[in-house]
Amino acid sequence: MAYKVDHEYDYLFKIVLIGDSGVGKSNILSRFTRNEFCLESKSTIGVEFATRTLQVEGKTVKAQIWDTAGQERYRAITSAYYRGAVGALLVYDITKRQTFDNVLRWLRELRDHADSNIVIMMAGNKSDLNHLRAVSTEDAQSLAESEGLSFMETSALEAFNIEKAFQTVLLDIYQIIRKKALAAQESASGTGVPQGTTINVNNMSDNANKKPCCST
Amino acid sequence: MDRSRGINDYEPGPVPSESRVDRYGFIKQNVSNSSAAEGLGKSREARRVRKWRKMIGVGGSDWKHYVRRKPHVVKRRIRKGIPDCLRGLVWQLISGSRDLLLMNPGVYEQLVIYETSASELDIIRDISRTFPTHVFFQQRHGPGQRSLYNVLKAYSVFDRAVGYVQGMGFLAGLLLLYMSEEDAFWLLVALLKGAVHAPMEGLYQVGLPLVQQYLFQFEHLVREHLPKLGEHFSREMINPSMYASQWFITVFSYSFPFPLALRIWDVFLFEGVKIVFKVGLALLKYCHDDLINLSFEKLIHALRNFPEDAMNPDILLPMAYSIKVSRSLGESKIEYEKQNRKPKIEA
Repeated sequence: MAYKVDHEYDYLFKIVLIGDSGVGKSNILSRFTRNEFCLESKSTIGVEFATRTLQVEGKTVKAQIWDTAGQERYRAITSAYYRGAVGALLVYDITKRQTFDNVLRWLRELRDHADSNIVIMMAGNKSDLNHLRAVSTEDAQSLAESEGLSFMETSALEAFNIEKAFQTVLLDIYQIIRKKALAAQESASGTGVPQGTTINVNNMSDNANKKPCCST
Repeated sequence: MDRSRGINDYEPGPVPSESRVDRYGFIKQNVSNSSAAEGLGKSREARRVRKWRKMIGVGGSDWKHYVRRKPHVVKRRIRKGIPDCLRGLVWQLISGSRDLLLMNPGVYEQLVIYETSASELDIIRDISRTFPTHVFFQQRHGPGQRSLYNVLKAYSVFDRAVGYVQGMGFLAGLLLLYMSEEDAFWLLVALLKGAVHAPMEGLYQVGLPLVQQYLFQFEHLVREHLPKLGEHFSREMINPSMYASQWFITVFSYSFPFPLALRIWDVFLFEGVKIVFKVGLALLKYCHDDLINLSFEKLIHALRNFPEDAMNPDILLPMAYSIKVSRSLGESKIEYEKQNRKPKIEA
């Protein structure tokens, strides 16, 4: 091939950012990938994309993150991007009850369109607006427990827990993969997963190629 | 430039301290040479305006007559760009919105004042996220934001099946910089309901059917006009929904340089959506040799950040005009409908 293929990572994980419109998804993405926050940001039309490479358990992991428009009507376009995602950050706004009540609908969306083993982190964003809080941490925690999600409150504005939320998702994905890899080749030696491989939690054998798995 | 300078006086919003606005009213982030690119001599500009005034007549009275007599002259002049001071009026004439306004006295007021919309909260949520760097829309609850709200709310009542969809705000916002609320509303109606060209409400209806169709057609066009690049895209698993959805949903008003967006809108309102495909193709064609060497991630980035010279209207638009798309659009539409087993609705 004429172009250079990026081999600067051990793993490539596709993550989707979902949740109601206006909860701060795009700013979470820009905070995580560029350490930027913009108070005057435009609403997202369609999908946006950014990456960041970081270390997880001594491995170089590239997170390929798709940020989606939150309005319901846009799911006609955005749900195609759930395919192949191994992680999801499901964001609500702690100052808007409705965005929390809709978490269940977003989970249903993921179940319909994403891999069943997808790692999900629920993020209660805008924790800097504690005086306007409409969703208690306890409520969110109990929902996270009953639905089997990780949970964290975050603030893209204050750069609070953004790093940690992504780190946690990536670590969870990594551990699932390690477990699967070990189980898949209990007798074999060696490190297992070839370098630069895209990992699909659901079905590892499908992914012997090194292309990002984001076609529709 | 002078036009918008006074606005800074009453603007208490979070404006960067030494901010200045460009000739269209956008806060300048850094000193750019965009005004140099506007390089029309003053006298040349004045001559153009005189020609245009003659063509339009007082308040647009001669327009229809002129278009009927000399459609090619009109088309050619519009492709060169409508003078900024006449833009608002001409847009209303060529879109058919002026007729709608005259046929429906009082309707807009009724929609704004007396009706309630299920989309009100959704609209409010996005108001400050529409052209946030333009002085007219920056002030919280200022005249710009109020007009934007009114137009969007009125439309969401006018067509409750469409309601409000993100992206419509950029259309309405662009129009409001050139005309009154009521005029902007009727132009939105003319576009979405199809006063002159095929209706575009499918961009915003449930399932975004027209967006899906346009993206399908665009992919088709890329493969036909730029086969090498088309092949490269499919090898890299790039599809148009990753970069072109915004082009269609907001008719280039979301993230393109304003002078370019305006020139595209001039042609778009007169000739229809074909120009959106043409401009998209011209962008890819202009950057072809760079794009063809990029891998997935760099491609995505490049397709959202075209170089400044590619977005110079005087370079890009002539290139766009020279691309023929009608036949291919017709064929791919039929193919799309076959694949989706949809009944033919529009012409």
